[in-house]
Amino acid sequence: MKKIALVFSILTVIIFFSGCEKDDICIDAATPQMVIRFYDQFDSSMLKEVTSLNVQGILDDVVFPVIENVSTTEIQVPLRVDGTSTSFLITRNLTPTDSTTADIDTVVFNYDLNEQFKSRACGFVMNFENIEGTGPTINNWIKMIEVLTPSLTQNDTITNVKIFH
Amino acid sequence: MLKYFISFCFAFVFALGAAQTESDTLVATPIDSSIVTHKQKYGIRFGVDLSRPITGLIADEYSGIEFVADYRLNYKLYIAGEFGNEKKTKQETLYNFTTSGSYGKLGIDYNTYANWYGEQNSIFVGARYAFSSYSQTVNNYRIYDADRYWNGTEFSLGSEEIKEFDGRTASWLEGVVGIKGELFANIYLGFSARIGFLLSNANRDTNFHDLFIPGFNKVTDGSKFGVGYNYTLTYFLPLYKKTKKPKKVKEKEKPKPKSEE
Repeated sequence: MKKIALVFSILTVIIFFSGCEKDDICIDAATPQMVIRFYDQFDSSMLKEVTSLNVQGILDDVVFPVIENVSTTEIQVPLRVDGTSTSFLITRNLTPTDSTTADIDTVVFNYDLNEQFKSRACGFVMNFENIEGTGPTINNWIKMIEVLTPSLTQNDTITNVKIFH
Repeated sequence: MLKYFISFCFAFVFALGAAQTESDTLVATPIDSSIVTHKQKYGIRFGVDLSRPITGLIADEYSGIEFVADYRLNYKLYIAGEFGNEKKTKQETLYNFTTSGSYGKLGIDYNTYANWYGEQNSIFVGARYAFSSYSQTVNNYRIYDADRYWNGTEFSLGSEEIKEFDGRTASWLEGVVGIKGELFANIYLGFSARIGFLLSNANRDTNFHDLFIPGFNKVTDGSKFGVGYNYTLTYFLPLYKKTKKPKKVKEKEKPKPKSEE
């Protein structure tokens, strides 16, 4: 009888531990966002504030909600994972009280998609490769776009893209 | 003086013990060696796992079968093995995958149960080396994106093409505990639980990890352990009988009635 008790206690322990699931919540992976910082067009190492900065996504003439900016010199934007091109309306307004004076520029980012399987809980996340940015050339306040890191694989605080104005 | 008193006590205990064993051997020896013989059946036992086909009937997303067999080597030791095939489709939160493949396990079972005369039951512990060959198919998936700015509440779909990972293999070691009881003559019902320890890395360096391995069961992130079980129905085919070698008389033998003296 002792042996039966022993075997059953071992079985109970096995079943008990098999119920533990540590991989139900995704915490260790994410689809990264791109960090854009605004620099002075005359001094490429100087951050320059954008007066009443306002960034919105745009897709097929549909304008998306305002993306909350980190500061007036930095913004983190999400790239589309269901297409290889993402456009943003980046607005500055030198006289914030008057909405008619807003300068709106459209910036387009093209890239390649690279799906990555991370874990049971997270599944697949998207990484972006060969990112290229193009800005407007007519009537523009954004003078130049420089992509510093063409591949975006994890959420980071380093600058991915510099925008000069 | 007290010291010596205790010593005297010990001396008496010793004498008592010596007297006891002497009388035991006198009585026990003739019975053990000549009258009682344990003729035990030896042979091969084979059958199927009941849990896998039943799970297959209940759940659409699973089908599987497992054949089991063991061959008796001596009084306690058996060579044991399993062979099976499993196909399982699993819907996770954002993706759906199918694992399909075959596996084999080979090892030993050690019976720890001392059967009464005529009994053939067992409570056993065992060990296996197991090997599986399988394919993983990602049927559909969505991209995990904590922000979902572009999609509102939905996660956007991944690419349409089905991702298939063929020709994968895994091997693991398995510890087994279980019981087998004789239901009718030569028909056994058994249950066993298993802990597997993966020897390979579950393809964690590829773009789709092994989340399920046939025979091994669920693979947990960051762990090499897995658990499984089976309910077996087996038939014992007796091949020959062998007398159990008489055990050396141990001092543990039951004390005999005093009337003999």
